[in-house]
Amino acid sequence: MGENKSDVLQGTLDLMVLKTLEAMGPLHGYGIARRIEQVSGDELSLNQGTIYPALLRLEQRGWIKSEWGTSETNRRAKFYSLSRIGRKKIEEETENWERMAATMARFLAPSN
Amino acid sequence: MDLLRMLFTRCAALFRRGKLDADLDEELRAHIDLAIHENLLHGMLPKEARTAALRAFGGVTQTRESYREQRSFPLLQQLGRDLRFALRQLRKSPGYSIVVIVTLALGVGANTTVFSVVDAVMLRPLPYAQPQQLVEVNSADANSPVARNVSYPDFFDWREQNHSFEHLVSYNDNSYTLTGTTRAVHLDAEIVSWDLLPMLGIQPELGRGFVAGEEKDGSKVVLISHSLWMSQFGSDSTIVGRAIHLSGDTFTVVGVMPPSFRFPVDKPQNSLWTTLAVDGEALKNRGGHSLAVMGRLRRGVTTAQGDQEMKAIASRLAKQYPDTNTHNNSAKVQLELQAMLGETRTLLLVVLGAVAFVLLIACGNIANLQLTRVRDRQREIAVRCALGAGRGSVIRQLMTESLVLSIAGGLAGSAVAFVSVPGVLALIGTSVPRAANAGVDLTVLAFALAASLLSGLIFGVVPATAASRTDLVKTLQQGGQARLYGHDRLRMAVIVGQVALGVVLTAGAGLLTTSFVKLIHTDEGFNPAHVLTFSFDTPDSAYKDRRPQFYRQYFDQLRALPGVESAAGSMILPMADDDAHISFENPERPVAKGLRPGAELAPVTPGFFQTMQIPLITGRDFTEADNMQSPQVMIVNQAFANTYFPGEDPLGKKLKPGAGNGSKDGPPWRQIVGVVGNVRHSATQREMQPAMYLPSSQLPTWCCLSSVLRTSVDPMSLEPAVRKLVASMDADIPVTDVRTMPDLISLRLAEPRFATVLFGSFAILSLVLTVVGLYGVMAYSVSQRTREIGLRFALGAERGAVLGMILRAAAGLLGTGIAIGIAAALAFGPILSKMLYGTGPRNPAVLLVVCGVMALAGLLAAYIPAARAASVDPMRALRTE
Repeated sequence: MGENKSDVLQGTLDLMVLKTLEAMGPLHGYGIARRIEQVSGDELSLNQGTIYPALLRLEQRGWIKSEWGTSETNRRAKFYSLSRIGRKKIEEETENWERMAATMARFLAPSN
Repeated sequence: MDLLRMLFTRCAALFRRGKLDADLDEELRAHIDLAIHENLLHGMLPKEARTAALRAFGGVTQTRESYREQRSFPLLQQLGRDLRFALRQLRKSPGYSIVVIVTLALGVGANTTVFSVVDAVMLRPLPYAQPQQLVEVNSADANSPVARNVSYPDFFDWREQNHSFEHLVSYNDNSYTLTGTTRAVHLDAEIVSWDLLPMLGIQPELGRGFVAGEEKDGSKVVLISHSLWMSQFGSDSTIVGRAIHLSGDTFTVVGVMPPSFRFPVDKPQNSLWTTLAVDGEALKNRGGHSLAVMGRLRRGVTTAQGDQEMKAIASRLAKQYPDTNTHNNSAKVQLELQAMLGETRTLLLVVLGAVAFVLLIACGNIANLQLTRVRDRQREIAVRCALGAGRGSVIRQLMTESLVLSIAGGLAGSAVAFVSVPGVLALIGTSVPRAANAGVDLTVLAFALAASLLSGLIFGVVPATAASRTDLVKTLQQGGQARLYGHDRLRMAVIVGQVALGVVLTAGAGLLTTSFVKLIHTDEGFNPAHVLTFSFDTPDSAYKDRRPQFYRQYFDQLRALPGVESAAGSMILPMADDDAHISFENPERPVAKGLRPGAELAPVTPGFFQTMQIPLITGRDFTEADNMQSPQVMIVNQAFANTYFPGEDPLGKKLKPGAGNGSKDGPPWRQIVGVVGNVRHSATQREMQPAMYLPSSQLPTWCCLSSVLRTSVDPMSLEPAVRKLVASMDADIPVTDVRTMPDLISLRLAEPRFATVLFGSFAILSLVLTVVGLYGVMAYSVSQRTREIGLRFALGAERGAVLGMILRAAAGLLGTGIAIGIAAALAFGPILSKMLYGTGPRNPAVLLVVCGVMALAGLLAAYIPAARAASVDPMRALRTE
């Protein structure tokens, strides 16, 4: 099922979501998707729908929690926010990601 | 922690699917609404705003699907869906499902039945502590593979000199008459060394086991079985220490064994165990081989090491005692279970192999049926592929159907086993040790399940992969009738394999049947019809000095009974699983004592040969005048005369068989006074053995004579009169083993009979399955070719030519299968050779018949669809799509 590839991407997306919630506070799915698009500029062409399985996954792990609220347009929407575990995990995940990125950079650097 | 929480929420999600789905839809709608709102703010038209929002979102359905997968257990739900679909598919074609389930039930049922016996007999450990350390030790001749019984002096030397065994225990059969309770009963007993129970690791239920001192001469102690304790002593707990009367001697009960205790395992009827002290004189006779020996290997000692040491000891003893041990210069140590089963192991494995073949053939049939069905379902499969089902999901769906079928077949097969196990056990009788313990239990059910799942895999995987290779476009274009490439070749291969397996099985059954028929019709050397046999003991305590008189009087009265034509006695009855072998001295060919030849021995009364209708070839029968005072005489059989006096007249020759008659000078010289015909001693004996007959009146210390009666009425109708007669002479001697000679022979034939019947049933089953399979394949292929056949007719083909064409195709398959089968039968035949009598393992007549039967049955199966094809109406055939 191409597990390795999607795992890396999942992890990436998860961290983006967590960072977004850390920066913006409680936010609905659309807001999270837009924020990720804006921050990444045109670099990342994200199907907005893909964040929902990611949100569910994070919620199942207990890193984020959700509740129904009202949006800026007065529409009922589900709002996500970081849980206590989630805050702790951000640090961990960030470290992981940085280590990973550094490793990758070493591989990609022209050999001398 | 994460994993646990995830598992929990996912499980919870399983039960709240509806609510969660609604939530998700609401959330996704909110997302789109928010996006539209923002797009409108950016100045888009409403329609544009919506399209853009949806495009940015990606696939709503895909999101929902992957969200659901994340939410719960997709595999589980998928399995449920596949199962529901499979059940629906199978319900839609009940005929197909029933045929598959019945076929599988027969295959699995037969396998489970045989397995239940194999499990009880071969796989279950012996009912003793650490049974893998228990071994059987036999005496042997270094030049011969035959394992022999052991003599007491040899056993004592073995026990003393070995370093391999924790315990070494001798055991041999005995019997007693228990008196002093309500009425005299005959009991089977075992004479054992004192440390039997420590060796087996078993404690008595009551009292204690034997101690070393109880092997001393004169010691009379006994352990009794639980059932004897209940039936004869009313479960009286004060039995321990009490004296009981066994064949006129007084024994002290030292213990009661637990209900489950059996020793030896193949003698479940044993109810007494005494120490070897009761064997008296035999303890000193190095030439008398009557013992079986079991040992427990010391921790860390292997069977091979034990074997090596015992061989060394036996070879040392042969040098030390050349007179007695020259032919016993080796030993053989093998695992107890293996020794107990002997050739029966091969027999069971062969039957298990045969029944596995039946299952394979059944799987072949089902696989072919499934291939047919897959072809009919091509359109459905193509449509599902077009709707996005992957190759994996098509295979998964078809495999699920096979799984459902195989489980249903397995359940039905278990039911078949439940019904057939008692029948098979009745057939086996007591011919296979421990078989009586067989039954359908959890192990056996697990086997049934495993067998059916494995079958499901075998018959499911071929059609599933074949179907998944469906060419989508072509199938849909051609209205679902595209040819599945390679399918026909696969079906043909399956049929050829089935025919080959069927031939192998039928050939095996043919050989066993031929052999069994030969066994039934062999000349036994006597006439078993209208012969009644029975036995009773004449214990030394009461008859030591008056046996000849007692027997003369008894036989006179027996002959006087109405319905009795003649009556006589013999210590060894043919067909009674009994034999005695003794060496003799021939003055014309003196050899070292240890190399003396031997022959079977039977002490008989006058009139024995006449009663059994064994022909007297020359000389005379024994008479009442042959007694201790008259010259000592003997009669030999023809095999004996031919072996030891070739081309000579044996009458008048003098020999000294090693049979003591109680006199101090040892065995006397005996003159041969007669030669009689050969008698088969066991129904499965291969060659007529040399035998010596001695008059029982000249062996007064020997016990005991069995009686044979030739009757003019139904033999069994004399049983009451016989019992009454014996009771009138001595109320304390119960009559046992009242059987007609044909019954005795039949008992001896139990093992070859059950092998033949089982093998035969499997062969018939395989033949039927193969023929049905061939019919199915031919009928299908003809129906597929209806159009082509119609075209041939339209172009002027003769009916005969079309018929011939189809039959030729079938004959090709049959011929290939038969050729492979014959080759395999020739290759594997020798496995059966030890079970065959009167036929070799490569009997050409049997093979010819098998080929004929298979070819005829096969062609008949092909003829029906072929004839139907040949009678097809060309116009209608051309119109069929």
